[in-house]
Amino acid sequence: MKPLDFITGEIVGILLFFIGLYGLMTKKTIVKTIMSMSIMESGIFLFYITINYTVGSVPPIGQAQEAAFVDPVPSALMITAIVIGIGVTAIGLTMFMHYKQKHGITHWSRNRNQTGSEH
Amino acid sequence: MAQTSRIFHIVRIAFAVIGAAVVLFLFLNHSEQLDTPLMDYFTADFFAQTGAQNSVAAIYLNYRVFDTLFEALMLMVSVMEVINVSWANKHAEKYQFEKDDFNRKGNSEIVVRMVGIIYPFVLLIGLYIIINGHVSPGGGFQGGAILATALITRYLVYPNFDLDLHALEIVEKILFLSIVMTPVLYVFMQIQPADTTISHQIYMVAMNSLIGLKVFSGLSIIFYRFVFYEGR
Repeated sequence: MKPLDFITGEIVGILLFFIGLYGLMTKKTIVKTIMSMSIMESGIFLFYITINYTVGSVPPIGQAQEAAFVDPVPSALMITAIVIGIGVTAIGLTMFMHYKQKHGITHWSRNRNQTGSEH
Repeated sequence: MAQTSRIFHIVRIAFAVIGAAVVLFLFLNHSEQLDTPLMDYFTADFFAQTGAQNSVAAIYLNYRVFDTLFEALMLMVSVMEVINVSWANKHAEKYQFEKDDFNRKGNSEIVVRMVGIIYPFVLLIGLYIIINGHVSPGGGFQGGAILATALITRYLVYPNFDLDLHALEIVEKILFLSIVMTPVLYVFMQIQPADTTISHQIYMVAMNSLIGLKVFSGLSIIFYRFVFYEGR
C-alpha cells in the first residue's frame, strides 16, 4: 500500500472529527467552540460522502447500467445535513452575539473580564 | 494552578490523539462490509417509480421525503431564531444606518465591474440547477445556495439594506407550507392521475423549485441579518 492510499475521504473525515473534538475540549472562546463544531460537522460530511465507494462506479444518474452505481443514500442524507449544519451554526452565532451584548461574556469562564484569543 | 491546567491540557491532547488512533485502527482493520439493501432498493428502478433520473433527487423527494420536510422545518426554525433572539431587536435605535455607511467600503473597481458582469450568470446557473435537479446533478438545495450567492455578490457591489426581510420571512413560511402540503397530498395520500409519467416530473420540478426558493430566502435572511445587525 502506497502512502498516498491512506489519504482517503474516510480517514481525513475521522481526523477532522477529532481535530474538532480537540478544539471543543481545549478552547475557551465561544466563537472557537462554534468553529470546532463546524469542523466536526465537515468531518462527518466527508466520511459519509466517501463511504461505500468502489473504484470505477458511476454517478447514480440515468439508467445506463454499464457500471455499478455509487451509493446515493449517504449523499441524500448529507444534502439535508449540510443545510441543517448551516442552521445550527447560525443559531450558535446569534446566541453568542446576544450573550456578548447583554452580559459581556465571550469565554466559557467564570472570569467575566477575560479577553483575548489565546485560550 | 498553572501546573494542573498544563496537565489537563496534555490529557486533552492525549485523549484526542488516542481517540483518533483507536477509531482509525478499528476502521482500517476491523471494518465490516455490510450489505446495502437500501442502495439496491433505491437504485433498482427509481426512474419508473419516481420519475427522476437523478437517484439522489428520487431519494430526497420521494423515498425519504420525510427527511426533507423536517430539514425545511429546521432551516425555518433557525431563520426565526436568527431574527427573533437577536439582541439588535430590542436595541434597534443603536442600529440606524448612516447614509455614508452605504459607500463606506470603498470597494475596488475590479470587484465591482466583474461582479456586475457575472451577476446574471450566477442567477442563470442557480435557476438551471434548480429546474434540472431531477435529471442531472443538482437540486433545490444546491441551486438555492447559488441563488443566495447572487444576493451576496449584490451586497459586495451595493451594500444597501433596502431588502424587506420581513416580507422575505413571510415568503419563506408560505413556501414551507407548500413544501409540506405538496408531498403530503402527492406522495402520502397518493392523489395522482392514472398515468403518472408526466405528473411525477411535474412534482419533481415543483418540489425542487419550492425547496430552492426556500433555501434561497433562508440563506439570504441569515446573511443579511448577520451583516447588518449582528456584525455591529
